[in-house]
Amino acid sequence: MSATTSVSTSTGGLPIGGAIGQFLLTPFTRRALAELLYALISLPLALAGFVYLLAALYTSGLLLITLIGLPLLAAALLGARGLGALTRRAAAALLGLRVDAPPAFRPRAGLLGWIRSGLGDVTGWRAMAYLLLKLPVGMLAFMVAIAFWAYSLAGITYAAWRPFLPGQYDTSGGWHRGAQFGEDYYVDTWPRILALFAAGVVLLLAAPWAVRGVLVLDRLLIEWLLGPTRSSARVRDLEESRAHAVDDSAARLRRIERDLHDGAQSRLVAVAMKLGMAKEKLDPDDPQADLEQARTLVDTAHRDAKEALVELRDLARGIHPPVLDTGLGSALRTLAARSTVPVELHVDLAERPSPAIETIAYFCAAELLTNVAKHSGARHATLELTQGSLLRLQVGDDGNGGARVGVAGGLAGLAERIRTVDGQLEIISPPGGPTLVTVELPHR
Amino acid sequence: MRIVIAEDSAVLRDGLVALLADRRHEVVAAVADGDALRAAVAEHRPDVAVVDIRMPPTHTDEGLRAAIALRRDHPGVGVLVFSQYVETQYAAELLASRSDGVGYLLKDRVADVSDFISALTRIAAGETVLDPEVVTQLLGASRRADALATLTPREREVLGLMAEGRSNAAIAKTLFLTDGSVEKHVTNIFAKLGLPPSEGDNRRVLAVLQYLDS
Repeated sequence: MSATTSVSTSTGGLPIGGAIGQFLLTPFTRRALAELLYALISLPLALAGFVYLLAALYTSGLLLITLIGLPLLAAALLGARGLGALTRRAAAALLGLRVDAPPAFRPRAGLLGWIRSGLGDVTGWRAMAYLLLKLPVGMLAFMVAIAFWAYSLAGITYAAWRPFLPGQYDTSGGWHRGAQFGEDYYVDTWPRILALFAAGVVLLLAAPWAVRGVLVLDRLLIEWLLGPTRSSARVRDLEESRAHAVDDSAARLRRIERDLHDGAQSRLVAVAMKLGMAKEKLDPDDPQADLEQARTLVDTAHRDAKEALVELRDLARGIHPPVLDTGLGSALRTLAARSTVPVELHVDLAERPSPAIETIAYFCAAELLTNVAKHSGARHATLELTQGSLLRLQVGDDGNGGARVGVAGGLAGLAERIRTVDGQLEIISPPGGPTLVTVELPHR
Repeated sequence: MRIVIAEDSAVLRDGLVALLADRRHEVVAAVADGDALRAAVAEHRPDVAVVDIRMPPTHTDEGLRAAIALRRDHPGVGVLVFSQYVETQYAAELLASRSDGVGYLLKDRVADVSDFISALTRIAAGETVLDPEVVTQLLGASRRADALATLTPREREVLGLMAEGRSNAAIAKTLFLTDGSVEKHVTNIFAKLGLPPSEGDNRRVLAVLQYLDS
């Protein structure tokens, strides 16, 4: 209802007139007609589902005495799953109700495994429960829809079909042609005919709301019984975040290997090569011996060795910053001090989070400060770490804003890492700034 | 020798150029990826090409692919594949068509300048040079470990050097043996492994490798 009014006030030049027009047209909107259709097919679907339920339970119950009963019941549960999926699809198409699919059926190996999995399939049993409860709910929806729509149409068109009614005499002998209400009340005068017409219009206007109201029950049933259970939704979330964590660590290992291969390893080969050449230059038996060249070679090898050391140190710090061992607070102080943009630091940390959380918080802070320095054009940044029920890290800057999670950017990587520990990432960065990024992590 | 170098790390590429120039070899081209390597070899027809395995764009094995293509398109050009790791699988692919004028060495070997230069010279002359590391891996992985177990420690040493492509004379020098005793070891090895004796270093290497890899 609120959606309708808000649309009319925002679009109509005359808000009240617009709202009334909208209200009068409600019975003829796509949504109302789709809901009517859903309510009408509810009856055959509910009946078919109920018959299926009875037949499945009855036959497999009868046959339980033989061996065929159990596999039959398992198959019936699987069928119920299918009917549940069909219902979800109909509700999505006609009611716009989006309910996630429950976890797919994953049978154990072998025929016996399949039967056991089928009999223990929670989704199947819940779908059966839906079929059972759908019977009264579906019948009610059908009756409400028929009552409102049929009576309203009958009332509105009454004047047109009254002449075809048979005439009849009332108790005092008067002759009437018209619908009879009560003992002696006939709708055969114009005021009465108009009143019936008005009643039909009122019913018509009320019909979409009545149908929508009665369908709430079915919506609740679908959400409750045909979607994933809370625990299965949780399992899916965990599976997803585990996959992210595995991908993330594989990608990091690969990057470390690349950095080693292209950096320190290559430099050390060069060092060995130059020292090898120098060694030959220093060979007293060699006629080519050349002290000056040897000195130059040792010089460049020395420089290469020092560069290799720097690269190794950076790489090691990228794997695990040693400063984290002394606590997240001092690690963040180091980060802030190293930033090219001045950072105002505020750390309020009563107890240490687990090492994994500290590491993620540290890399988030590092990545966010790097972004500030690289992309924001900011002159001033803030870094705040507070501890409540969650560990909250906030990095803000007075730069250009417009930061967002791209497909493969640093922020996307952060978001994935944060998700692996059930954390949250929130970015407020309107164009023109300022930017405030909030990371919330559990303590362990 | 006229040499083409393909190596994406600038510090190593420059180092190699300096090292070879110092030994009075001519580096006719120094490039950083496989396509440029193939173009340079077609243009300059060098005696030998030194090829890094991991190069742009994918940084996986494009050097190896380029080396295999070179051996197909330019049979006269020796190819030294050069890497920070050795993989027996790569060695097998490299030697699949034929085993002359090809080498596969760890980058570490460049530290012993004379050995490295001599390996290059041997490859340019059509011989085969395999890194001792490859040979060790093959020896360790061979499915005929039972037959290998019958070799004496000295015979294993000789076999390793044979697999690296050394001649009997070179083996004798390395192990401080007389030529005659090396020959005796080689005959024993062939007999124990059931390999027909044959002429020439390369066929020896190939025979040994085929045996080890089977």
